[in-house]
Amino acid sequence: MIDITKEALSPPRSFLSQDAIQLFYRLLAVLLICAVLAVLNESFLSLGNILNVLRQASLTFFIASGLTLVVLTAGLDLSVGANVALSACIAGTVIHTTGSSVLGILTGLACGGIVGLLNGIMVTALRIPSFIATYGMLWVLNGLTYWYMAGETLHGFPAGFRQIGSGYLFGLPIPIYLLLVFLGIGTLFAQRTIWGQEIYAIGANPVAARLSGIPVARRLLLVYAVSGTMAGLASIIFLSRLNSAEADIGESLTLPAIAAVLIGGTSLFGGVGTVFGTFIGALILTLVLNGMNLLSVSANWQPLVTGIIVILAVWLDMKTRRRAQ
Amino acid sequence: MKRRLGYLALPLMMAAAFTTQARADGETIAVFTKNQTNPFFQTVRVGADAMAKTLNAKTLQYIPTKPDSIPEQLSQIEDVVVKKPSAIVFTPVDYKAMVPGVEKINDAKIPVVNITDRSAGGKFLSFIGADDYSLGLETARFLLKTLGGKGNIVIIEGVKGSLTNVDRVRGFNDALKENPGAKLLASQPGNYQRLQALQVMENLMQSNSQIDGVLAANDAMAVGAIEALDGANRKAQVIGINGTKEAIDAIKSGKLLASGDYNGFYQGCLGTMMAIRALREQPVIAEVVLKPTVITKDNYQPFDQPLEQRTCPTFEEASKLGAK
Repeated sequence: MIDITKEALSPPRSFLSQDAIQLFYRLLAVLLICAVLAVLNESFLSLGNILNVLRQASLTFFIASGLTLVVLTAGLDLSVGANVALSACIAGTVIHTTGSSVLGILTGLACGGIVGLLNGIMVTALRIPSFIATYGMLWVLNGLTYWYMAGETLHGFPAGFRQIGSGYLFGLPIPIYLLLVFLGIGTLFAQRTIWGQEIYAIGANPVAARLSGIPVARRLLLVYAVSGTMAGLASIIFLSRLNSAEADIGESLTLPAIAAVLIGGTSLFGGVGTVFGTFIGALILTLVLNGMNLLSVSANWQPLVTGIIVILAVWLDMKTRRRAQ
Repeated sequence: MKRRLGYLALPLMMAAAFTTQARADGETIAVFTKNQTNPFFQTVRVGADAMAKTLNAKTLQYIPTKPDSIPEQLSQIEDVVVKKPSAIVFTPVDYKAMVPGVEKINDAKIPVVNITDRSAGGKFLSFIGADDYSLGLETARFLLKTLGGKGNIVIIEGVKGSLTNVDRVRGFNDALKENPGAKLLASQPGNYQRLQALQVMENLMQSNSQIDGVLAANDAMAVGAIEALDGANRKAQVIGINGTKEAIDAIKSGKLLASGDYNGFYQGCLGTMMAIRALREQPVIAEVVLKPTVITKDNYQPFDQPLEQRTCPTFEEASKLGAK
């Protein structure tokens, strides 16, 4: 049984050290993948390719970072990809009609955040299981986006706006700076703030959390709103990087984000995992695809290899955790 | 913005269409397309509407809410069999899996025309489509001609195993075989998605210092590849397929070399025309496989006008559009 005292609020030491062990395994996996790819392809370790991989991983990470908090509370947000699609289409329209990139960015973030908040309300006030609530939301968002776009594509955005996703600062792609900022904020929030620790506690044992005075509903609302807002941020990066928005982008973004969270070692049962782990998860997924492109692996094998890696990662994770417990 | 607001009227119009049964003067044609996300099917629907309007008939659009969903199209067929429209213009979401659905339509004795993807079974009044293989072949030939028959080429494939992708990529490869001077560096999947194509292109540029040509199996991926090239300050000739508005804009600005026109507007027009002609006991053409058009900077003008302003071909013109 979990001890309902003040100590229960700060993640028990064993959790942290266990997370540290898991992170060590993951970094080892990243190094192993890198070593193999470096031997097989000489361009792999070039600075250009490393920046390339980090920039590609950033989009998945932005979506997955907010999702990590949801999964930490033993919830799931299946609507993130559809949220990115709707937010991107609406933000794109705002930029096209008003000519203001700032207004577009704010709209995109707000749209994502509002969707997240609605998810949170469904989960807390209506007590709908998050899997069902956000699955329903996925359809609602798809429907709205398809209807709104009616098979059209928005494209062509101001050069200044395009800098966010495609530009460089001191030789580094701008999304990499954003990646570092949000990795830092996410890690500090989850590991070093009371709110963050309360989120772990809710995931570990919601009843104990409630009894120890944590405002569970308010924290859950926050967590879903953050997940939605991060999807809003991802929509801005997407728009700016791709210079276009279309209705069907959602499906290709949701599953990689969920996979990144799981490969990163966050447990679907809640209470265990880190935002940094999710970053590593996004990195592993990106590295594998990057490596297969560099090695010209046949199109047939790519989904198969990706699938096996996801299964292997989660299996190894459960195995090592069981041993640690 | 104004035009978008016009879509607000759509549910109202649909509700009206469901409640009023076909009047004596206007047949109701149920038009089945695969999804609401691919601009191509929007052109099909606009073409079908344009032809129905000309012939004083009505259309009812059936589109799966989940793109290309087999169970959803099947249940839409069950609905339509109950509702009994005058005729059906049908694109299967999957050319094999929808055969039982087509048989249901046949059993209900509703006349049906097959467009875009050729169904693997069932009885149809006629087939109207384009040829993915020759689209792939002709666009790739155009690219290789522009490159003088040589250079380093990359193929970005669509969804592996989909009929359109298999045929288009086969066309690309056959054009490459005709040009022994050209070298295929890689054939990688972009799944018809812009972001995936952009990332694949970024990755391929890391290990290939010289890429001269990119053959993308659709326009969204072609534009994604161009974004990647621009981002790395590199140049290559890129072609796409579908002739979307975005592709036409990119051809105009010189970023895209060419796009193969799949001619959805004509497919919608002709499919609806054949259905209505059959109902009025006029002769129909059993099969029209539209000749592929490679849209380039020299001939993009007719494709540059808004869909609503395009005009359908007449029956006499239709018989010359590559009919067999």
